[in-house]
Amino acid sequence: MTQVFFHFAVCFPTKSSLKDDDSGDHDQDQGSPKDSEKEKTEDEDKEQNSSKKKMVVPGAGEHPLQYNYTFWYSRRTPGRPASTQSYEQNIKQIGSFASVEQFWRFYSHMIRPGDLTGHSDFHLFKEGIKPMWEDDANKMGGKWIIRLRKGLASRCWENLILAMLGEQFMVGEEICGAVVSVRFQEDIISIWNKTASDQATTARIRDTLRRVLNLPPNTIMEYKTHTDSIKYVLISYIKTCRIVSV
Amino acid sequence: MIGNLLFYVLYPISRYLAFRLSEASKKDLPPAVVNGTAVWDGGAVTTRRLFQSQTSLLDQWLSPRSGTTGETEERMKEPSPEKEEDTGPGADEEQLLAVLHGDTENEAASEMSEVQPAAKEKEAETINGPQEEGPKEEDTDMTNHHEMLHTMQSTDDGLICQTEVINPERELGAQLECLQMEDSAKVTTYPVLKNEGLPNSEDLVTPAETSIQETSGQVQEQIQIPSVKESRTPAKAPIEQTECWDEYISISADGMHGGESSELPLASLLSNSQIHLDLSRDTQTGWHFPAGPGLTEEVLCPLWQFPAMSYYPPIEPAVPFEVTWRVWEDVDESASAAEPALIPIPFTKASMDFTVMSYNILADDLLEANQDLYTHCPLEVLDWSYRCSLLLEEILKWSPDILCLQEVQENHYHEQLCPVLSQMGYTCVYKRRTGTKTDGCATCYRSSRFSEVSVTPLEFFRPDTELLDRHNVGIVVLLRPAVTRGSEIKTMGPPLCVANTHLLFNPRRGDVKLTQLAVLLAEIDKVVKSCKARGEHCNLIMCGDFNSLPYTPLYQLITTGELYYQGLSAWMVSGQEDLSDKAYCHRLFAPLWPSCLEITDNCQYATVEDEMKSPSQERGKSQYRHDFMQQLRFCPAACVRPKDLELIPGVTDSTPDASKENHTYDKRFRLTVTHRLDLESVYKHILPGSGNPEVTTLHAEAGATVDYIFYTPRRISPTVDKGDGDFEREGLKLIGSLSLLSEDVLWSMRGLPNHIFPSDHLSLLAKFQLELNVP
Repeated sequence: MTQVFFHFAVCFPTKSSLKDDDSGDHDQDQGSPKDSEKEKTEDEDKEQNSSKKKMVVPGAGEHPLQYNYTFWYSRRTPGRPASTQSYEQNIKQIGSFASVEQFWRFYSHMIRPGDLTGHSDFHLFKEGIKPMWEDDANKMGGKWIIRLRKGLASRCWENLILAMLGEQFMVGEEICGAVVSVRFQEDIISIWNKTASDQATTARIRDTLRRVLNLPPNTIMEYKTHTDSIKYVLISYIKTCRIVSV
Repeated sequence: MIGNLLFYVLYPISRYLAFRLSEASKKDLPPAVVNGTAVWDGGAVTTRRLFQSQTSLLDQWLSPRSGTTGETEERMKEPSPEKEEDTGPGADEEQLLAVLHGDTENEAASEMSEVQPAAKEKEAETINGPQEEGPKEEDTDMTNHHEMLHTMQSTDDGLICQTEVINPERELGAQLECLQMEDSAKVTTYPVLKNEGLPNSEDLVTPAETSIQETSGQVQEQIQIPSVKESRTPAKAPIEQTECWDEYISISADGMHGGESSELPLASLLSNSQIHLDLSRDTQTGWHFPAGPGLTEEVLCPLWQFPAMSYYPPIEPAVPFEVTWRVWEDVDESASAAEPALIPIPFTKASMDFTVMSYNILADDLLEANQDLYTHCPLEVLDWSYRCSLLLEEILKWSPDILCLQEVQENHYHEQLCPVLSQMGYTCVYKRRTGTKTDGCATCYRSSRFSEVSVTPLEFFRPDTELLDRHNVGIVVLLRPAVTRGSEIKTMGPPLCVANTHLLFNPRRGDVKLTQLAVLLAEIDKVVKSCKARGEHCNLIMCGDFNSLPYTPLYQLITTGELYYQGLSAWMVSGQEDLSDKAYCHRLFAPLWPSCLEITDNCQYATVEDEMKSPSQERGKSQYRHDFMQQLRFCPAACVRPKDLELIPGVTDSTPDASKENHTYDKRFRLTVTHRLDLESVYKHILPGSGNPEVTTLHAEAGATVDYIFYTPRRISPTVDKGDGDFEREGLKLIGSLSLLSEDVLWSMRGLPNHIFPSDHLSLLAKFQLELNVP
């Protein structure tokens, strides 16, 4: 509940720009649409772009992954009101890979999440799935969210994505991707799956998370459906408006 | 435990005897002696607990007989010979000898009395007289009688050993007495060996050893006599050997030997046991047992006769030692010993007992190559044909259901071991070492009790991996318990994975040993997972020569499932030698083995195979474990910056730096090697009672434990919601094991190999119970 009150309000949920509620950052400096916020129109453009792109393939002698994945990076530009920044503008595709070796090639040249500055996110999604609620793969989905105190993000993120790439979750094609969000006072990692209503799958993901992340015992894990997230954003929007009006 | 129990049972008897004795008032007996007797008796019965009835018979028998006070009195004395020696003159020793001798008579006679009325004993006594004193008649019955004596002695020896382990010297004393007993029985008046002061073990044993050497040649010949008939009369010695052996072991062995003697290649060995059977039948039906003349007479008999001059073929005295030294020990309280009898447990549960032997048999080629390790051995015990016959006898004696041999020379396997073992009912799998060494591992299982599911020979040699340039091998066999019902053999119960290996010897290369072990563990893990995929729990036996001492890092990895190795000196891994003073000290650093081995830090294969995945949806996937992926982290391909990677300052401007990453990376994954198999050692590496370290191998320089039988112990897990509840009693229950020996005891037998133990290793033998599910 506290979160609701501290939560920074989205002032202007235009179009489909929905707030990703679980950023959980308590900094109230600026309003900003976050991770999964974006505009549909641009989505479609992107979609076309990526479909035009050639699929990456594993190199000779490399260890192929079950799926190809794409790294994304997003960052809220400081100093500009969030409302003016579209999600799409903020998110950048870093690159796609098809093998363990190719993964490391990207990963090793990226700053680790714990060392990122500012309001930044890394997204790692299956190739073809955009890190947005509106993507077909995500529409009916949800995510497990783990809030981490500062200092843990790098290790947990690495464990999480290695487990995901190595198909350790054993939930078939349910996994969509994972996100690490660097915030002011805490970091958040989340893993998205396709079908929020599939409790067996979500339970299995949770158990695997516990195992692979080696989390502190008091870590809280919560599951959110993306539709809940949308509602939540709306609620917080309304509340904020009340506060503002008060 | 049993010993104590029996002590209390027999104590009253000894008291009674003491009473009779004092009545006879020939000598004063210190109470301690009485006490000693009781202890001694207790041990005796321990080793023969199957014949409990004898005890009572003995009791009955002794009382009417008490008139012949000499024996009884001596009987009181004999248990505490050392004490007497300390205080007394040589006469005591003679007395002691007589006592021992007399006692064995008593024992033997008592056994006889099971089937014969006491009246016959008189007769027996009279027969004994002539025999002992002078002319050796050609009378097989007589010889039989001797065998009987020896049998008794051997069992007695067992108890002595058991009760007196604490003090090696005393032990030796006991041993020596046994010898004396034998000798006196055999040659009647074998010179009394002086025990005075029990100066040191070597001295004590020497006389005995001499006689061993004298006789051994003959024994060898006799062993090879193929015909049962022939061996029966002239070749008494080997017969007696087996008799002693078999007398001691369980009855089950007897049954097994039954029909096998007809096979010619086996005849030399099996005939012995066959004869034993015959003889023991004789025993039952009753032949004359000559009780000795008066003790005094005996003692005063001529002092020396060379064994060779004796009419009676010299008896290989060593064999009773085997019985003496290595005692079967039940793990649990005596209740568990009785458990096998009630195999069909109510409901649908049933259990199966099986025995596993692990034995490094010392390949002849290796013996030749390292002769300096065996300079202490008489030449004849190093002869392969001799060792081979001893070895097969030992196997035959214990007839393990699963036999894991190491250092099996290829030609010996094909020419001798495999044919003989096959005839004994074993199915054998052999894996020769790679490279130029001629030996390898063999895993044999009794076809009537197990059926084979899969066999994986393992080669630790990998041409592409420098770390694995050694030619060691292993065998992983997956078996399924089989039950014979009528003519058909039915498999049932959970599978059993048996891994057999012989790891690298080189004490400096702990890193190689660990990696070899990892390969073995990964293979076992694969088998376990394949069983799991079928919904079955797989029990494990992992045994062999690991060339590592107990509680060293390698051992720790096996038994605790985890080893933090960063910075560890390589020699410490096995602890065979202390090389800390060496200038160059190789240390272990991550990664322990290269990623191309495709084995994770969890000792699992990196690429999970189809069968290990959850059956429904995960087939054909590329699964990688965390640690495997980590191993590729700094592979050359991963260190090249992707062409299409946009340079974003503060985001994608990092460079791979292996050294930095190593330091910052979570240690959990990189500096520790683990496995997920639950393994426990059968042996605890300390001899119960004495607290001396157990020894499984001994050569010129040192003795140590390097052989092990590890198993998955039965653990009751409170959280079993796996469904069918079949697995609530998964795991193996350890029922018993054959005791090992301490180093000084082995040295008292002139080290290894010797006339009893054909290898420079001892055999390891354990009995397990396995839960079956009766369909």
